[in-house]
This record gives sequence, C-alpha cells and structure tokens, in this order.
Amino acid sequence: MSERKIILSAKDIEVKFRVRDNYLTAIRNVSLDLYDGETFAIVGESGSGKSVFTKTFTGMLESNGEISNGSIMFEGKDLTKLVTDKDWEGIRGKKISTIFQDPMTSLNPIRTIGSQITEVIIKHQGVSAEEAKAQAVEIMEKVGIKNAANRFDEYPFQYSGGMRQRIVIAIALSCHPEILICDEPTTALDVTIQAQILQLIKELQRDLKFTTVYITHDLGVVANVADRVGVMYGGQIIEYGTAEEIFFDPQHPYTWALLSSLPQLGEKGQDLYYITGTPPSLYNKILGDAFAPRNKYALKIDFVEEPPFFKVSDTHYAKTWLLDPRAPKVEKPEVINNLHEKIEKMTSKGGAFYVEQQQ
Amino acid sequence: MKGYILKRLLRSLLSILVIITAVFIMVYSLVPRDNIFKNDDTFRKLSAKPDDKTDYIMRTWQNIGYLDYQNMSYYCTGLYGEATDETRACVLAGSKESKEFVDLYESKGYTVKYFINGAPYAYKDLPVISRLASWFGNMIQIDHPWKVKDETNPDLERRLYFGTTPTGGVALKCSGCEYKYQIYTDSRFPFIHQNILTVYLGESYPTYKGLKILDVIFDTQGQEVKKTVTFETGQTGESSIMFGTCRYKSVLDRLDQNKFTDHYASCMYKKATPSMVGISFIMGIFSIIIAYALGLPIGLAMARNKDKLIDKLGMVYIIFIIAVPSLAYIYIFRYLGTTLFGLPSAFPTLGAEDIRSWILPVISLALPSISGLMLWMRRYAVDQMSSDYVKFAKSKGLNQHEIFKNHILKNAIIPIAQGIPASLASCIVGAIITEAIYSVGGMGKMLPDAIKQYNNAMVLALTFMFAGISIISVLLGDLILIWLDPRISLTEKEGRN
Repeated sequence: MSERKIILSAKDIEVKFRVRDNYLTAIRNVSLDLYDGETFAIVGESGSGKSVFTKTFTGMLESNGEISNGSIMFEGKDLTKLVTDKDWEGIRGKKISTIFQDPMTSLNPIRTIGSQITEVIIKHQGVSAEEAKAQAVEIMEKVGIKNAANRFDEYPFQYSGGMRQRIVIAIALSCHPEILICDEPTTALDVTIQAQILQLIKELQRDLKFTTVYITHDLGVVANVADRVGVMYGGQIIEYGTAEEIFFDPQHPYTWALLSSLPQLGEKGQDLYYITGTPPSLYNKILGDAFAPRNKYALKIDFVEEPPFFKVSDTHYAKTWLLDPRAPKVEKPEVINNLHEKIEKMTSKGGAFYVEQQQ
Repeated sequence: MKGYILKRLLRSLLSILVIITAVFIMVYSLVPRDNIFKNDDTFRKLSAKPDDKTDYIMRTWQNIGYLDYQNMSYYCTGLYGEATDETRACVLAGSKESKEFVDLYESKGYTVKYFINGAPYAYKDLPVISRLASWFGNMIQIDHPWKVKDETNPDLERRLYFGTTPTGGVALKCSGCEYKYQIYTDSRFPFIHQNILTVYLGESYPTYKGLKILDVIFDTQGQEVKKTVTFETGQTGESSIMFGTCRYKSVLDRLDQNKFTDHYASCMYKKATPSMVGISFIMGIFSIIIAYALGLPIGLAMARNKDKLIDKLGMVYIIFIIAVPSLAYIYIFRYLGTTLFGLPSAFPTLGAEDIRSWILPVISLALPSISGLMLWMRRYAVDQMSSDYVKFAKSKGLNQHEIFKNHILKNAIIPIAQGIPASLASCIVGAIITEAIYSVGGMGKMLPDAIKQYNNAMVLALTFMFAGISIISVLLGDLILIWLDPRISLTEKEGRN
C-alpha cells in the first residue's frame, strides 16, 4: 500500500477553539496521510475530535476555531493557509466534498431538490442551467432515484430520509470530488437504509474513483467499508492500521475498550461493557497518555510522558507505552478475541451490517 | 384551497358575530343610559325646561334604539294630520284623546308617565337581542327607487335612467332612491363609484351628532376645496360639492332651489385633509414601507456581521427603542426634526397638502417598526445560519453571498411576510401616541374618545371594523405563508409510488 499515491497529507495539526476567554485544544498534533482511492475510517467516541479534524480539510471550522499549528498538503497547496471563501473556491465542494449526518436537515426545506443540485454544478463547472439539469438528473439516477427527471422539481419533504441522504450524496459527488468526507453518514438512518447507503457509497467510489473518509463511532460501519482505520481519542489518533489489523490485532488499550463495547458482543443476561469515566477536559494541558485515567492497564509512565507511535507493522502504528520493550506483557481482553468470527457473523447474510458483495 | 378559505371566512364571520354580540350587550346594558348625555350641549341648555328635557331624553333614547317612545304629539298628528286645529286641541293636557292614549299604551305594555304640564307619554324598552338583530339587519343597505318615503312629495317619480353627471361623467341615475347617482364615473380614484350598496353602522351620538358613523371616519376633513361648477339649474359658482354623494332631501330651502332641479340636494363637500381613516392609512403605509425597506436589510446585515460593529450598533438602536418609552423618543425625534431640518412640529401647521407635514409623523411611526423588523430579521437569519443545510451549502463550496441569497433570505423572510397584512391592517386602527403628539386627525384617538364620550354606536362600529380587519389580515397572512412555503399546502396531494 505504501507505493500508492498520497493524495492528502496532514502534518502535526493542532486546532484550538476560543470559548469565552479560554482556549480549548480540540486536535493535538495529528498527522495523517490519505492514499488515493482508499477508504479511511476515523473512529472514536463523541468529542474525540473526529469531525473537527476533517473539517480542517475543507476550512469548515466554526468561526471561533483556528488551526494553530501544522500543515495540510493537497495538490501542492497548504490548506491551512486558505482563509476566505475565494481561497477555497475550487477546493471546497469541488475537490473535497462532505456529507453530513442528518439528511433530514441537510437540505433546504423550501427549495426544490433540483435547484439544490444544480446550484453546485453551475457554481463549480460554470455550465448553463439546462446542462446542469441534465447532469443533475444523471447523478440523481446514479444514486438510485427512480424517475429522476420527474422528481427534479420536488421539495425535500416529499422525499424519505434515505432518499434525502441519496440526494445529499448526489450533491457531494456532482462535481466529481477527489475526496469525499462522510461525517457519520448513516447515524440518522434506520438499519436497512444504512446498509443501502453504505453500499451506494461503495459502488460510487468504485465508479468514480474518489477517496473516502468515514467519520463514525459505529464499528459495524468500519468493519464493512474501511480499508484503513484510525482510532481517535482526546484529540489525537492513538492507533491506526488496516481494518484487519485494528479489528484483529489491536494494540492500544483504548481500542480494546472500544471494541469490547460493541453491543453485539454482549451476552444475554450480562451487562454491556462500557468504558468508565469521562474523556479528559480539553481545556487543560494533557500530561502523558490522555486515556490513562480510564485505563485499567495504565502504567506509571502513562501519567507522566506522552507515548510515541510504536510500529507494529508497516501499516500499523499505536501510541501506547505497552508496546515499549520494557513494558510488562499484557493480554488484551478475552471478549475481543475471535472478533473475526463475531464480526463475520454480524456482517454476513442476515446480520445487522450485511452489505451485498458484488463482484 | 377554495374550501379552506371559505371555511376560514365563515369562521371569521362567526367570530365577528360573537365579538359584536359581546360588545353590544356590554355597551347597551352595562353602560348606564343616562351617561350618554354627559357630553351633549343641547341637553345642558334644556336644564331650565324640564318637560322639554324629558322629551329630548326620550327622543334621543328612541333614536339610539334603547326604547320606543310615544307622546301626544305623535298620537294626535297620527289622528288628525300635521298642524291642524284638531291636532292643536288634541295635544293639550287633559284632552279626551290623552285618556285614550293612556289606555291604549298601557294595554300595549308601555310605561305611562306624565310631564309636569300634565300631558302623558309612554315608553317601552326594547330588548337588547332584537336591537342586535336590527343592527345586523340594517348593516347592508340596498338602494332602490321605492326607498324614499316622503308624504310631502307624493308625486315623486320612481324610476332608474341613464344620464350624465354635472362634472361630465356618465351615470345610472335614480328618482325615488336615496342616492340620485346609483353608479357614476368621475376623475376620483377608483373612477367608477356606486351607491347601490352602502354599509350602515349607525349614527354618531353625542359627538358628530346626526352623522352616519362611516361618514364621520371616511369623509374628508378641514377646509373645503372649491372650484367652479355648473349646477343643474345652470347656475355657476364656487363650490366643493361632490355630486355623486347627493341624497334625497325632503324640505328644500331657497339656496337648494337655485342649484338643484329636484329633491337631491343633500350632498357632501370635498375638503382638503384626507379622512380620518385615510390620514392614518397614508401615514401607516409610508411608515411601513420605510420600516420594511430599512428594517429587513439592516437586520440581515446584522446577522451577516454577527457580533461585529454593525450588529452592536443595531442592537443599541433596538434596545433604545425597547427601553425608552415611545412618548419620550418621539419627542426627542421631533425636537431633532424641528431644530435641525426646520420641519413643522404639528401636522396642521402646514396641513395635509404640504409633504413636510407628513415627514416627522411618518418617520416617528416607522421608528419602532424598524427596530422590531431588525430584531426579528436578525433572529430568523441567525437561526438559519446555524442550520444544517446552511453548513451543507457552505461545504458545497457556495460563498457567503450565495448562501445568504439562496438559502437564508427566503427562509428567514417567510415568518416575517406572514405579518405584513397585519401591519397593513394596523394602519387603519391608527397610532394613538404619534397622532396625539403631532395633532394628526387620524383614527388613533377615535376609539378611546368614543368610549370616553359614551358614543356607543361609534364604539360598536369601530369594534366591528377593527375585528373584521384583524381577522381578515390574519387570514391573508396565512395565505401568504401558503404561497411562499412549499411545505404548507391546502390541496390534497395524490399518493406517490
């Protein structure tokens, strides 16, 4: 995989938010390389910084946030240097698109579906209204809207939730972006629709050849779609590797805890596993490993010094002192052994996350 | 859609009926009926003549509809005709007819009393409900050739015919109707006028005595506007007469006979200042135009530059208008306007013809509306700005200008547009404080004055008008909402597959 082309490279990104008179550090020195055509999933609990991190790729940070350090190289440009709408023209929405969590509210309720698609096409491609309409109808058909030409002039309230998410995808893909960021694309949808939408994105990715970044806290989604996975906690990526490596050979205690919390692993009659405690306050400077206070495997050094990334394999790195040769040997929790079979069960036919594989 | 509007209109009518019934009962059964004389000059002059005073009270109450009044004068005239010798003998106290009178009306259930001079009179209270029914029954008057009943003029023709008006218009004329010109054209907006259907909401008393209430509030005021006219008799002269308004008059004086060839000599005269409704409406319309033209863009600009200088300045203005009593800021504003720009401090100083008279009242009226619209526009736009579809629009690559134009403006304006008919309607109600400060003869003071002066018919008529206008404007607001917002629809959509 290493010989593949890097399309976007984020280095030492630090993001700060000004909240009243305090500064909150939401992202702490995160680096990430995205390879052309891959599907990268970022997982982590709420507040871990998943969304904020990807928002820096499109300059979508809230007005009180700023990238205080680092660089994001994309097509020879440093995205952290772009400020105004004009700077972003040609990148945001054209080269890098985003789809958001809630399709119910992502579309303007009082404008027609058609006008909301064509406005992007006209904006980025500068084509005439008729040409934009033709393209819009084509992309609507592509995302599975039947009878697209007739439904062009309908309003969002005439569409179901799944259909609306398809439209959102159509809008995001209407200008053939290089990178598609899916910010929890299926969270607001019911399970059957979730699978359809994931399948759709997968197919479109194969057709249109773009790179996908999934942001999710749903490991089922990750197992299903991701080539590579990054686990985020407390504003940092603490472990990353291929999906296989993360699921079947996780190294960081937080990844263990996260995998143990899969509700599907719970057994009848027993309490579901959950991670005790709360995430660290990002207002304070975090000393050592951010997860240490909630980590039952924590070493003394975890509270003192931040661990570096230890290499597990060429593609797999984890940020935990447990990988240091001097660390005591610790077995990962029993419940996440054999995860392979369990995941298989969940995503195979009849399982909650089953997506029909097409050859 | 049609069904819905019809249903809403019916419900509106029903609510108006309920409101009028409640006010009618309140005004005519809870307000002591003696109070109406408190502001009546004629009544005051009669205090030395108790019999005349009693007679005046009874006749006034009869006119207003409290009761049915009978006295010997009516009775004898009915028996022997007007001003005959028998009548004169009959009305004297102690005549044989007075005994018949007492017996007759006592048997009819009337209360019989005696004047100090010994003559009897009788009255019977009318129930409020029957009065209410006749109030509604008389509300719409239809003119027809058999309308005028004048015993002194038995030869009155009864016919409709086409002709011209003295000012050169064409007209459907009538003899025997109340109005001479049933339908006529002239140079006054809306150019074609009719008198066939008229609304009658009672007569004003004790203020504007004897005038129809709608004439009080819809007639021009102030000085007459005279120009040279030629009357039907061929006489020419300076007059402000409006021929279209001429009504039947049974007793003509010499001046009338010089001008008119028939009995239609009771006309209205054009005056310089617009009517009470007109003046309030003109002021209101212009202040609303100013308010929307300024309030909406400023509110939007505030939202767009949230927490920046323009937003803070706007907020200072809004808080100033909310916190300072309107009386105070209107006086401040008037002081600025008169000292800095030399504008008149009162409306009548230069009069309605001079545009400078209007500037200060109109702007004073607009001040609070501007602040209200700014506040709401800012609020709705800020609401929209934090919505998901605006975030998505940004991620689509639209710039701020496009986002505001395509995704915020219309969404934010929908709830504001719903209020436009109501603010238009509020013009007709008038602005009491502004009109008082600038001495504008508008509608603002009408209702409070009518209540203070026990002008019960006026109170009722205004209640009716204001209630009707408010209800209709709410309906119009909802229709605007339906028109603007595709999510709201009244027609049943066919199912989709």
